[in-house]
Amino acid sequence: MKRLIVFGNLVKDSLDTITRGPIKYHVWMGVLTFIMLVGIYCYSIQFEEGLGATGMTDRVSWGLYISNFTFLVGVAAAAVVLVLPTYLFKDIDFKRAVLIGEGLAVAALLMCLMFIVADMGGPDVLWHVMPGIGVFNFPDSMLTWDIIALNGYLIINISIPFYILFRHYQDKIANPKVYIPGAMISMLWAVGIHLVTAFLYQGLQARPFWNNALLGPRFLASAFAAGPALIILILGIIRAYTPFSLEDTTFKKISLVVTGAAIINLIMLLSELFKEFYLLTHHSESAYYLFFGIGDKKALLPWIWSAISMNVLGTILLTYRKTRNNFKTLFFACSILFIAIWIEKGFGLIIPGFIPGPYGKIAEYTPTGIEIGVTLGIWAMGAFIFTILARVTINIEIGRLRYKKKE
Amino acid sequence: MINKFNSFILLGCILCITLSCQRHEEKYHNITDKINALSKAYEGTSISSEAYIHVPTIEITEGAETFLIPERKGQITSYACTECHTQPLKEMQSSSSSKKAHWDIKINHANQNTMECITCHNSSDMDNLKSLTGKSIDFNRSYQLCSQCHSGQFKDWKGGAHGKSAGGWSSPRAALTCVNCHNPHKPHIAPRWPVRYNTQKIKERD
Amino acid sequence: MSNTKKWFSLNLGNKKKEQSSSCGCGSTTGGCNSNNASAAIGEEKHKDGFDQVFDVKMDRRTAFKQLTASLMIGAGAVSTSCSVTSGDESKEKAQIDWEEQFKGNYKLMTDDEKKATVERLSRSYQLRTGKTVDISSRNAEEDVLFGYAFNISKCQGSMDCVNACVEENNQDRNSQMQYIRIHEMMDGQGFKFNEADDNYYHEVPAEGHFYMGTQCFHCDNPPCTKVCPVQATWQEEDGLVVIDYDWCIGCRYCMAACPYDGRRFNWTEPEIKEEKINKNQHYLGNRPRKKGVMEKCTFCVQRSREGQNPACVDACPTGARTFGNLLDPDSTIRWVLENKKVFRLKEELGTEPKFWYYMD
Repeated sequence: MKRLIVFGNLVKDSLDTITRGPIKYHVWMGVLTFIMLVGIYCYSIQFEEGLGATGMTDRVSWGLYISNFTFLVGVAAAAVVLVLPTYLFKDIDFKRAVLIGEGLAVAALLMCLMFIVADMGGPDVLWHVMPGIGVFNFPDSMLTWDIIALNGYLIINISIPFYILFRHYQDKIANPKVYIPGAMISMLWAVGIHLVTAFLYQGLQARPFWNNALLGPRFLASAFAAGPALIILILGIIRAYTPFSLEDTTFKKISLVVTGAAIINLIMLLSELFKEFYLLTHHSESAYYLFFGIGDKKALLPWIWSAISMNVLGTILLTYRKTRNNFKTLFFACSILFIAIWIEKGFGLIIPGFIPGPYGKIAEYTPTGIEIGVTLGIWAMGAFIFTILARVTINIEIGRLRYKKKE
Repeated sequence: MINKFNSFILLGCILCITLSCQRHEEKYHNITDKINALSKAYEGTSISSEAYIHVPTIEITEGAETFLIPERKGQITSYACTECHTQPLKEMQSSSSSKKAHWDIKINHANQNTMECITCHNSSDMDNLKSLTGKSIDFNRSYQLCSQCHSGQFKDWKGGAHGKSAGGWSSPRAALTCVNCHNPHKPHIAPRWPVRYNTQKIKERD
Repeated sequence: MSNTKKWFSLNLGNKKKEQSSSCGCGSTTGGCNSNNASAAIGEEKHKDGFDQVFDVKMDRRTAFKQLTASLMIGAGAVSTSCSVTSGDESKEKAQIDWEEQFKGNYKLMTDDEKKATVERLSRSYQLRTGKTVDISSRNAEEDVLFGYAFNISKCQGSMDCVNACVEENNQDRNSQMQYIRIHEMMDGQGFKFNEADDNYYHEVPAEGHFYMGTQCFHCDNPPCTKVCPVQATWQEEDGLVVIDYDWCIGCRYCMAACPYDGRRFNWTEPEIKEEKINKNQHYLGNRPRKKGVMEKCTFCVQRSREGQNPACVDACPTGARTFGNLLDPDSTIRWVLENKKVFRLKEELGTEPKFWYYMD
């Protein structure tokens, strides 16, 4: 009973916190709300007309939504790289970053689920997939594994930070015996969600571009580069605009993780390129289309080459200690790496899987305005949720938000 | 450390169990094995295709195959031929008073050295066809005439690899006979235009 | 309906009408037999939803509790069903919409449940258009495994099969959806699908070309059914790979998994003129679809389960297409398999298609 009262107070205080703030904060939230509304409007058109309102066709049947979904699974999984050292090696200064990282995971996962729902042809019958009242084709369908993995990860990533914050809110110390096992599970689970998501594509013998044993590991490598890169950027913003103090070492440690992952990612990219192009086979056509275009169909060329050059540049900047330890170049490297991997894991992975089609037909894909609107709306929603979570977290952590017992 | 190890084992066990719970019973290595195994006990189905044979048929037996083919004589407008061909052919050709018949038929079947009217038609017995050796062949069984040269096609037709079904897939088996598709006087099937053109596909690919 | 209903149904107080003639085939031909002729197999008790998969009984109340979550989503059905003030017909329509929205997976329905949903669908069609359709729920017959053979040397690319298929299977005319593709290939080049044209318009057969038709191959080891998260697509006992259009959630995973381009998606609401609709339907076959669901060739289940050939086989002017029962040693399809040099596409993928190609 007492806990419920505390919880009620926490909700009330959090609402207070998130509705009040400096003018910049309000403008930010206002802009996000506007984009979300545009997204909702676009989705209503799509709901009415069907998925024909998007650029997808029978030839390229997954597009921007699934691309973003795939990428964001990686971002969500990246929270783990912060969890691992913090909870296991009791690295205090990292712990503050972890809460932010887990908040990011929650926001990313919610975006993932939103993208999946936006991609469904029959959102009104989605209950068919709920275990219990629908038919859950487990363990045959990798999509059911993914549903379990994502939702499980979401629950873990909500409950651990919630427990810690809830204790801190009451001015108590969080018991490591409670959250360390949770962190352990979360760690394994993070690897799991990304592998399972990769298996979603990797298992299909119909699409040789995906049907490749390196896909899963490469997903992990790129996720562990893009996710922490985003976290560095966000922590940078938080440090600049809030009283939440973060040590320089935090950034340096996370940037080491990003560097390692980015290098491994590049090595794997090299290995893939070698396999596809050393001796061209029929199965290399998708890769050929992606990197060089086939005939006059070259829609992905500017994307993938800018992604690769950004990827290489970002990795080089991170590898040199001098540029890595300089915050300006670090932030620059992180942002181009993030964008590069967004392209690579989105456009560069999902769309060429469908091109050429099973009978070699090449039909290109261009997202429509409505599709882009929905996508931006979902990203805005993710940012909105994350801002709320981060704001509450920061206020609890710096001690501004505390439970006051009634006299 | 021990805890960690245990949790790995536990996770592994769970994984193994779920994977082994596959509800499939893959009994056959491939489809050929499946067909062979299942058709051993085949005793026929209750489904009949009788309702889909829309033309009068006759039953024929050729080698191991027995099936139905469309009856032909009833479909020829002025059968029996002897209703017109009351006189021997020679006399009909010579008498300039009588109307010309069959003048529009041009034979475009093999070359002139091989095929002419009387290769198949019997001038002394107009109501029947005749084989190369002069044996009489009923109009209903004209395939016997064709099979003299087209033995490959005949074999495929008997088996079902050439020609077209005249009913459904189930028994009784009914097949169109040669002359239902090929005009015996010019058996080549004429080129034509496709019946449709998909404008959406063009859009999709641009 | 069976007594052990596992689905919450909203009874708006109108008694189920006695609808002896609701299937609309009239009394003259006894055409209802398609419903009555449900086969002997599949007689054993099937279960719905969760029970179907994990064999766990579910309390009706918990089922309802969980269902309420999806009620919000099913608001369309709710709003129509709440208009109790309007006439009997709209009440009945609402009742049908409600029951259809929350029915189970067809694959796991009992024969009675199958019959009930088919009755609801044809009644709903009657209420909406005033016309009657004959929807069958006939099950797979024992000792039947359908297979198909295609003679490459006979096909001349006239596309009669495509037209017949579209008309038979009520495909969307707007997007010109077609299950069959006829690929025009160059002689002497082998099977170069990427250089083949499947949308030609010139006199056929074109000099120096041959034609090869593709459609759903009804694989014996289908990747599409395995990946479906809700078992909305599966292989029937007679080998047909079918889809429950009402259970499909439209994730298009099956489409990504199909190596043969056999599946089609309804990107927009399908449009067919009422008078063009083929009224002889099967639940798993050619009944009209809605937007956002998958569909594909079913070997014309509404025809083949009655003993008829698929529409493409009957329409082919050159006899390039053979259809039959693979288990019948005397069938023509078996003769083709045993006596001709047959092959299948992408055999190395292990999908075991039941669609063979051969040449004279």
